[in-house]
Amino acid sequence: MKPCSSNLVCSLLVLGLLNTTALLHADDVDFARDVLPILSNKCFVCHGPDSNDADMLRLDTEELATVDRGGYRAIDQKKPRQSAALHRILSEDDPMPPADAEKQLTDLERQTLVTWIKQGGRYAKHWAFVAPVKEVPQSRGNATREQIIDAFIEDNLKVAGVTFGEEADKSTLARRVSLVLTGLPPELELLDEYLNDQSDQAYTNFVETLLSSARYGEHQARYWLDAVRYGDTHGLHLDNRRGIYPYRDWVVGALNDNLPFDQFITWQLAGDLLPNPTLQQRVATGFVRMNPSTAEGGAIPAEFQAKNNFDRTETLGTVLLGITLTCSRCHTHKYDPITQTEYYQLLAFFNSTAENAMDGNSYTYNPVINAPNDQQAWRQWKQRENEKIRLINAAGKLLGEKVELNEEQEKTWKVADVAGRLSQLADVNGPFAIEDVHQETLVLLNAEQEAVKSFTTTLVAKELAMPRETKVLHRGEYNQPQGDPLEPGVLSVMGAFPAGAPRNRLGLAAWLTADDHPVMSRVIVNRLWSRVYGIPLVRTPEDFGVQGEHPTHPELLDWLAVDFRENGWNVKDMLRLMVHSRTFKQSSAWRENVNDPENRLFARGPGYRLDAEVLRDIGLWASGLLSPHMGGEGVKPYQPDGMWKALAHPGSNTKQYVRDQGDLLYRRSLYVYWKRTSPHPMMTLFDAPDRESSCVQRQRTNTALQSLGLLNETQRVEMGRILAERLLTQAETDEDRVHLLFRLLASRQASASEMRAILGLVDIMKQRFTESSEDARVLLAIGEAEQNEKLDVVVHAAWTQATVAVLASDPAILLY
Amino acid sequence: MINPNPARENELMVTRRHLFGKTALGLGTAAMAGLIGAELKAEPNGAGGLDGLPHHQPKAKSVIYLFMSGGPSHIDLWDYKPKLNDLFGEQLPDEIRDGQRVTGMTANQKSGFPLAPSRYKYTKQDNDAEGLWTSELLPYTAGVAKELCVVYSTFTEAINHDPAITYIQTGAQTPGRPSLGAWLSYGLGTANENLPHYVVMHARTKYPEQSLFNRLWGPGFLSSDHQGILMRSQGDPVLFLSNPSGVSRQDRRAQLDVLAAINQQQAEQFGDPEVLSRIKQHEMAYRMQASVPELVDFSDETAATLEMYGDDVNTPGTFAASCLTARRLAQRGVRNIQIFHRGWDAHGNLAGEHSSQAKDIDQATAALIKDLKQQGMLDETLVVWGGEFGRTPYCQGGLTRENYGRDHHPRCFTTWMAGGGVKPGITYGRTDDYGYNIADEDGNPLRPQPNKDKWTPGTMHIHDLNATILHLMGIDHTKLTYRYQGRDFRLTDVHGHILTDILA
Repeated sequence: MKPCSSNLVCSLLVLGLLNTTALLHADDVDFARDVLPILSNKCFVCHGPDSNDADMLRLDTEELATVDRGGYRAIDQKKPRQSAALHRILSEDDPMPPADAEKQLTDLERQTLVTWIKQGGRYAKHWAFVAPVKEVPQSRGNATREQIIDAFIEDNLKVAGVTFGEEADKSTLARRVSLVLTGLPPELELLDEYLNDQSDQAYTNFVETLLSSARYGEHQARYWLDAVRYGDTHGLHLDNRRGIYPYRDWVVGALNDNLPFDQFITWQLAGDLLPNPTLQQRVATGFVRMNPSTAEGGAIPAEFQAKNNFDRTETLGTVLLGITLTCSRCHTHKYDPITQTEYYQLLAFFNSTAENAMDGNSYTYNPVINAPNDQQAWRQWKQRENEKIRLINAAGKLLGEKVELNEEQEKTWKVADVAGRLSQLADVNGPFAIEDVHQETLVLLNAEQEAVKSFTTTLVAKELAMPRETKVLHRGEYNQPQGDPLEPGVLSVMGAFPAGAPRNRLGLAAWLTADDHPVMSRVIVNRLWSRVYGIPLVRTPEDFGVQGEHPTHPELLDWLAVDFRENGWNVKDMLRLMVHSRTFKQSSAWRENVNDPENRLFARGPGYRLDAEVLRDIGLWASGLLSPHMGGEGVKPYQPDGMWKALAHPGSNTKQYVRDQGDLLYRRSLYVYWKRTSPHPMMTLFDAPDRESSCVQRQRTNTALQSLGLLNETQRVEMGRILAERLLTQAETDEDRVHLLFRLLASRQASASEMRAILGLVDIMKQRFTESSEDARVLLAIGEAEQNEKLDVVVHAAWTQATVAVLASDPAILLY
Repeated sequence: MINPNPARENELMVTRRHLFGKTALGLGTAAMAGLIGAELKAEPNGAGGLDGLPHHQPKAKSVIYLFMSGGPSHIDLWDYKPKLNDLFGEQLPDEIRDGQRVTGMTANQKSGFPLAPSRYKYTKQDNDAEGLWTSELLPYTAGVAKELCVVYSTFTEAINHDPAITYIQTGAQTPGRPSLGAWLSYGLGTANENLPHYVVMHARTKYPEQSLFNRLWGPGFLSSDHQGILMRSQGDPVLFLSNPSGVSRQDRRAQLDVLAAINQQQAEQFGDPEVLSRIKQHEMAYRMQASVPELVDFSDETAATLEMYGDDVNTPGTFAASCLTARRLAQRGVRNIQIFHRGWDAHGNLAGEHSSQAKDIDQATAALIKDLKQQGMLDETLVVWGGEFGRTPYCQGGLTRENYGRDHHPRCFTTWMAGGGVKPGITYGRTDDYGYNIADEDGNPLRPQPNKDKWTPGTMHIHDLNATILHLMGIDHTKLTYRYQGRDFRLTDVHGHILTDILA
């Protein structure tokens, strides 16, 4: 970010009055930052890319804005003061925007435009469409990679006249980083190890443990599943079951394996088009199939072919391009330089997938393939794949030494793929029949044959042999195609289609991940930043277009975007870099001398209410109920009766919510069954999206109904009761119990006042349940988890009241 | 269970307020202002709404929207088409259909498009204009003809349920946009913080055909506290309202006090005003636990009122009970109430289905209007009745004089409004003799297109309906916007005309 040019701006910033258009000053107008947003928001409606009238003045390109319009120019770069635009925006008699226009200029905006025109009215490209460059902050030319984030942040702090906040205390930081990376507080042993480790490496070691935990992938996957709108049902009309959870499990696995992000994207967009695609690569294409679908009786297939494609194209825009494309479905974009034709060229990449437009209400909405049905099965699959390679290599070493191939065998061996070579190894009459590898191969193939029996189906992408024809649809109407058929193509404002790349989804992926693509890596690191620091650098993560917000730290965003790519699209390493920054480690306490409620300076650490899934997982984990099982069909924990039935079509196969039993009640929330027309109420209550459309940033509301959910929902009470049991059985004294409770939920001991408050509550409740032990008994009967009969019911119930309350308290439900 | 002790509660409430007032001072004025401001700010228009709203003096304080899901047959309920009687079984003329796309269900029907006159008798009721024809299916509603503004010329483009109902409720045919109720909540906030802003009820039906979706009352990209809250007839009226078994109201009080103490410490340590606001929400939840059961307890209603709604009113979950609950909600300042009644999708056996459906709603609908009037609330309560589309005049499946089915029909259908600033006792718009097209005074088809610049008088596109509802609630539909993905979205997209002709 450019340092502010005057104290005025800085004080605006510090006063929290900063907004995207306010950051300017008379002698320093930056077109992309200051002027373009004004033109876009106030002028482009008439004078923009979608101007209907051929004679209408256009202000969206330099060429058109400065053209000779019969003796005058709107922007006259040679004689700026004669610019017609200058006079019109200052005119009282004949003003622009017209007096009756919906959007008028503010004084500040008018002044900005005047200054810009007087300075020559030069145009520049919108920042997000210019490829990022990696420049170290001028102030810190010798900063190491590890110091860069803080150097950029500190530049702005200095301008605002403040310094970094204090570092959070060790236990707070431990909880924070653990929640950020794994979505759970640290295990007590790990916490103690870290707190007792006085070495310089303590924090790094702690972070490494978290990054290598399987919980990491589960937590990080959630963000991606929101973005791609993952659901376990089709979404429209009957909203029937859809079999696609192997995709979800693949995402978790890929993140845990730290698959480079360019491949992560490529597999999902076009895994099926890679040479000899692996099972994983094909399962990953579930991404392409994630659009909600219908099989409503009267629906017209051509209409839904178009609608499905709109959805996929626009989701690509939100998730990977940070741009809204919906406008261009019907007309050229009002603000961003994207034509309607380009929209349909982009859509053409998706128009040739093989599935029917209608889902047939089928779980196996074709094309589908068989895939492992949980994470354990995936692990075994990977082991078998590795074993295959090992056996083939081992066999290869035998060739020419112990094993001689005849001419025909040699020919076969040379051209065969993995499966072909394995069958040669397995052949009882083959050349390897007497070798160990033969026996080992038989064992492996038998194991595989056994394993695939438990495989389940998952929706995948497949290309039609003959592509469907794509044309522009007039006003987005499926039955009004116009013009010539279009070749698949990309948005030219974001760079050319890579030379030599195939004109299919694989080429699309190559374009997105190309070195000079201006947007994708920015969009992704912006969201990674948001996971770590609670808020993104671009406050409109769904919109990097002209109407979006300017980044608070543009140079930092660019540095991170380029570093991410240069560093092999390494997600874990990017997160590692971020959580090691001083910026991240600051205390999240609001600072008296920094009035920056939105934390645009990042002069304090992150603070926010945790997501729905995390709230549930923390409770399950603290009570010891959390099941370690990873992956598999979505699970159905407690839910008030009748919620699905009240909405569902009588013909729907998701009209009855049949609650699961046993271990399935305690799976991580990532695995909770996602019915798109009626997600679990504890999810929607805490701002989880419906997954019918893409969500790249959840809201964080604070409502009375959330209080009811936290204190009354069956699973919350069950967690409380089992957590109370844990406290009663694992700690000796009441004081120790309260400390254990806080160590679990807040990674620290209870304060004196917390201790007093909780023991006071326990005392009141003991008295109360002594008077009415029946109430104690019914309270302890809530939830399926077995009750420890050895405990005194009065004491157990009293502690349950306390644990339920503390589980709902801010030290437990906030990140800080 | 221990009975709550009101005196003790009040005392605790005062103590807590005192405590917060005192300690909050230590937090800096910004945080303090955040907490106190919400309590002390004069709020004639409710809390949590947008600055500058309402845009103009509202006519209606609340809207009660009776949503007939599935597509009620305008031809059998409202739109009297005597000429069809002579055309029984004849094909719908091509020039009437005029290339209208039809659903996949009847497009290739062997019988073609045979006309099905309504089997129901119509009688004419007095209203404040030329009178209102009403069907024998709705005898009670006929009795409030003088209060109704019946619009025959509602239309939409969507021809299937999911897109059509999503369209009329959110302004777009595909998921992702905020619902009408969410927009109202976003714009106007609430006038009663002890009850949800926006309440949705699902009334019982014998024919629960067609699905409903959370998105129909969802927040879309608006903040999720604007989503409709289901008021349920099964279990808690509001999800998670009741304390767990074995937990008394006093227990909860004690829990909340400890929770407040812990949160208070957190607030002092971190100074985040959000923490203080959460303490307030916990208290509001506690008050809601008292106000909601009171809301759904009809024991303070007079026998006459209950009788007016009919026997069903005593059965939670019926349309009648939902209507009375709606009136009680409106009375308590809830602005935004919607009752969904499914089962109007009569592709076959219309006689059986619609008669049952009409019986579900008729008496209670009339009672709601009368009740609101008696309570002096009708002037400021807008009642809307309608579905996502109408039904075809031609038959789907087997056709007799007595029974038939009808397919979806988007090109015209009947919606009515009452109270809340709408002219009572009038009808608006008309359809041709077939009930197929919106027509002009001479019966010629009008074929309006939704167009932001040109509105066809005598017609009401669903965007026009929504624009008009917002207008009556004091909102300029072109100005209630939310910027998402760089675009200022509105409920009516770039469309919508206020039907000034029907405003009182």
